[in-house]
Amino acid sequence: MSSPKTQRTAKFLDSFTYLTLLSTAGIFACLLVSPIFMRSLVSKTIQVDPDVPEQLPPIQLKKEPIGALRIDVNAAIPENHWVTYEIQLKDQQGQVIASGIKQAWNESGTWAEEGESGTWAEDDLTGGLDVRPTQAELVTITLNILEYSDISGKEIDQPVPFEISVVNGAVDTRYLWTGIIGTAFLAFLAILVTPFSGKVIIDKFIGDSDISGRGILGGTNNLVRVSVNIKSDEHSPPVLNVLVVINDGNGEQLYSDSHRIYLSLNKSEGGKVTGANGKLSSFFILEPRGSYGFHVEVTPDATVDRTEIIVREHCKTLFPVSVTSLKSIQ
Amino acid sequence: MTKLFALLAILLAGTTIFYGFTQQSALVLRQEQQNNHWVRHDTRTSGSYRGGIWVASPTRQTYGGFRGGGPGAGK
Repeated sequence: MSSPKTQRTAKFLDSFTYLTLLSTAGIFACLLVSPIFMRSLVSKTIQVDPDVPEQLPPIQLKKEPIGALRIDVNAAIPENHWVTYEIQLKDQQGQVIASGIKQAWNESGTWAEEGESGTWAEDDLTGGLDVRPTQAELVTITLNILEYSDISGKEIDQPVPFEISVVNGAVDTRYLWTGIIGTAFLAFLAILVTPFSGKVIIDKFIGDSDISGRGILGGTNNLVRVSVNIKSDEHSPPVLNVLVVINDGNGEQLYSDSHRIYLSLNKSEGGKVTGANGKLSSFFILEPRGSYGFHVEVTPDATVDRTEIIVREHCKTLFPVSVTSLKSIQ
Repeated sequence: MTKLFALLAILLAGTTIFYGFTQQSALVLRQEQQNNHWVRHDTRTSGSYRGGIWVASPTRQTYGGFRGGGPGAGK
């Protein structure tokens, strides 16, 4: 038996998992750069009288590849008032070419529930319209109060201050956030499944501490992952020794090494140990492709209830791993 | 498996970046089809295009029914 060579390598990293993560980072980068396309055209507060439309100076628009004209309006009304306002876009002839209605409110009050009480204040005052021009034209933004009242429904005939912000080249970041959440979820799934990549060649378990299996696997550039899952009972020691032995097709021993594994303890609600689980993953390159036997022995074996061996080939990893190269002389 | 996730992620990234930067959600001026319009700040359009001309929607007259929001609403 020649001494096995163990090397840490990033050669078997799952590039697709990293590509999934990269898409999330890509959208996030787009989100960060999106404000550079924005040009502020108007940012001011205007007073609008109910039923008297207030006009802003005309704005020259043209068809642009990136972004839209964004009109954001915030109504500054006192508590317990409602206002329904309309944002209108007019062309040079004074014809309305687009309009949107916002029903804004600002309310507060008290609450009492199960002996407790307090106050609440909520509002929804911001309205917004994004428009994309299809031709070069001069448009005028108009703000109109359709109805202004207090919560009893009594109409109020007083001017309302509105903060208006008009920006050109605004990017819709709601899509980008959707993309970030979606791709992050996919990246999370990819990270979860990466340790289970490859083809299962051996999957055996026994209600005991020793298990063996044999299969045809290996070859150049073929990462073999040997996973051992151990279930131990309530008297389990915190550490177990796992001996992994690999033999070739002639029964020649290529590898024999003992690994110490730390168990995670299962505890009942009272803090009593009810059992323990242990896991071991080792990586190998086995050359040439052929029949290989795997043998696992867990010691001390008194508390071991179940031992499972899973051997996979053509595996990918999430992080660089230590890989032991074994050669069979056949 | 991760190949599929990567493919989906790249497609999703490409689509959302394209839709975000070209503002597919915006109201397209003088266009009858507004398939991708996505209302911002709960500001609904009060009309639609008929042959390139903005026609105020009949429901525009019903705004008077608004009775506020907040936790008190619907109680």
